[in-house]
Amino acid sequence: MLYISNFVLELHNLILIRMKKGMIIFAVAALVLLTTGLWLTSARGTLKTFDLLNILVIVLVVAFALFIGYKRLSAAKRGEPPEDEMSRKVLLKTAAFSYYISLYLWVAILFIKDRINLDTEEILGAGILGMAITWAVCWLIFNYRGVRDE
Amino acid sequence: MNNRIKEYRARYNLTQEDLAKKVNVRRETIVFLEKNKYNPSLKLAFDIARVFNAGIEEIFISE
Repeated sequence: MLYISNFVLELHNLILIRMKKGMIIFAVAALVLLTTGLWLTSARGTLKTFDLLNILVIVLVVAFALFIGYKRLSAAKRGEPPEDEMSRKVLLKTAAFSYYISLYLWVAILFIKDRINLDTEEILGAGILGMAITWAVCWLIFNYRGVRDE
Repeated sequence: MNNRIKEYRARYNLTQEDLAKKVNVRRETIVFLEKNKYNPSLKLAFDIARVFNAGIEEIFISE
């Protein structure tokens, strides 16, 4: 009896450890949504087009994070590792490729910053969100196209 | 690099999920391997070959 209860506890602990990372993603996503909500409620006056664009990007990034969190949790429930050598390789390629694209993104932002009427914070925010989108798009491409390395 | 994972899996009556659990990877990785969209590490290739009681060169064929 003791052996069975020990085994059940071990299994429970294992699932909890594997689910931990997925839970963190959900917590961060909730935090981002909460702060966006606070920002929206504290914003006075009507929102500009740029603000709406920012909100759209934030929602997209959060949706993407939730998608990854859901994938991790469902993998943990099936008893599979949430990460393996292929997912790590995809992450590595995504990081390298999105970094490369981000360099060009910042060059483009430097080029257009004098031609548009935006504050420094807004330009920095747009750049950071642009980097997040670049990363997400690269991840989707590598995750669905595969990494053959040939 | 081509492989015969699908063929061997059918021979041993294993699902993609079963094989994934046996070699400790996600089912998605097995799907990508079977579609030739991912080249495994040497360790994973050996683990898969061990599951099928075959040599690594019987499962993975270099083009």
